Amino acid sequence: MFNFKFNSISDAIFMQSSNGQYHGLYVWSVVLIVLLSISITFLVYKVQIKNIGKKIK
Amino acid sequence: MKLLKFELLKLRKKSRGWLGPILVFVLIMTAFPLTVEILNKDIDQSFLSVLWIATLLVMMLATEDIFLEDFNDGTLEQMAIKHNSLSGVITIKIFVYWLLIGLPISLLGALYGFGITSSADLAIQLIPILMITTYIFLNVFSFGNALSLTKGSILGILITMPLVLPLLVVLGKVVIVINLGMNFLGFLFLLLGILSIIILVLPIIISFVIKAHLE
Amino acid sequence: MIKKFIHQFASPKTYLFQVDRAYPYIFYTSLSIYLVALFWGLFLTSEDFVQGNSYRIIYLHVPASFISQSLYLAMAFASAIFLIWKVKLSAYLVRSIAPIGAITTFIALVSGAIWGIPTWGTWWAWDARIISTLILFIMYLGLISLHDSFTDNEKADKFLAILVIVGSVNIPIIKMSVEWWSTLHQTASITVTEKPAIDPSMLYPLFGSIIGFTGIVVCLVILSSKLQILKREKNKSWVKDYV
Repeated sequence: MFNFKFNSISDAIFMQSSNGQYHGLYVWSVVLIVLLSISITFLVYKVQIKNIGKKIK
Repeated sequence: MKLLKFELLKLRKKSRGWLGPILVFVLIMTAFPLTVEILNKDIDQSFLSVLWIATLLVMMLATEDIFLEDFNDGTLEQMAIKHNSLSGVITIKIFVYWLLIGLPISLLGALYGFGITSSADLAIQLIPILMITTYIFLNVFSFGNALSLTKGSILGILITMPLVLPLLVVLGKVVIVINLGMNFLGFLFLLLGILSIIILVLPIIISFVIKAHLE
Repeated sequence: MIKKFIHQFASPKTYLFQVDRAYPYIFYTSLSIYLVALFWGLFLTSEDFVQGNSYRIIYLHVPASFISQSLYLAMAFASAIFLIWKVKLSAYLVRSIAPIGAITTFIALVSGAIWGIPTWGTWWAWDARIISTLILFIMYLGLISLHDSFTDNEKADKFLAILVIVGSVNIPIIKMSVEWWSTLHQTASITVTEKPAIDPSMLYPLFGSIIGFTGIVVCLVILSSKLQILKREKNKSWVKDYV
């Protein structure tokens, strides 16, 4: 249950499935989109809170 | 009763308000066969879909300024003070709109149904469905326009369109049922059920919204 | 009794101070849970028999779509509290949840679209679940534009709350759309009442990612509500002290 299912890093990037298709592109682009959009949202809110804090001061 | 007559007269005098939407409906329904190749059999199938969308659009147009004029000249405020139930007034108002716009459009839609698919069965089935659907649409769009009263109807449409989309799914099912020649009474009762809930609940909510506007 | 309780503890001031204290704990625990679950899901689980490795998107897609609907329910709940007890804080919360909901719905849509390419062969299908998620996205945007179109904030709060409650009739429809209409979209993998349809080794990381993502989104809501409170109460004296 806790063994790596990929033998090398390039295997994990390409993610070849048993039917021969490479699914890495899809999986990793989704990972990228999710992490990016979440962190950008965090950043935007932090900056906005900072700005409004300055204004109130 | 007096109020009903008064509202009827008011809407009837404003011919842009009730004749306009009906004419738009006629225009859409006459124009759409032009976009389909003549003698194409598919026109039967796409007809119902176009009909639903056309009614949706026309009901949007019809309710565009259902409360705006009354709000601007202070009639609404007077009514809110004079009658102790504003929701009753709103129910009557929407009913009048349905009488002058929804009912003719249901009949016209059935007529077009007969003209395009030349099936009398379909036309007769369409009348009750259209009557109920137009009433639901009028109620929901009145709610949207009450919310965005002074901010233009685009906002009202934007926020109420999502609310009627489930209804469009039901209507899509009705298309399948009619095309297969199955019994559509179940859907009719489903629509009736939705309508009865909406008639009871939405005027109260709308009156709440309008009171908030008047504050 | 309840009214007094709510008014005492739901003042924006106490909320802000409590939330500030809890924020780092929530953030770091949920972030670590999420990352561990993602690592587990992406590298340690075995591939799906039918979908191959592309099924690993489930660990990103399902939390987002789950949260996008839960946030709407949270908004409806807060709106009800606002309309019944006139609690200002819940009105702020409703307004601050809306953009977060829009973002999570967007993530759910995009990840679903990308997932669709290898499994269905198409990135978009006019099927009930996808359309209703799109509708949810538009609803969030509509809510934001409704609130922003009024300069009078108190009026806007009231209208927003009413619209949220009326719009919540769509949520069960979105939830049940997969079961009511035959669609491409698969039915929910996990339900409360039934035994899950997927293998436990895939299930645990999925739970982890849902919990972790929920925590992260809660942090986002906290930030958003903080911004909202500062914006609306900027003339109060305690805000000046707070900043």
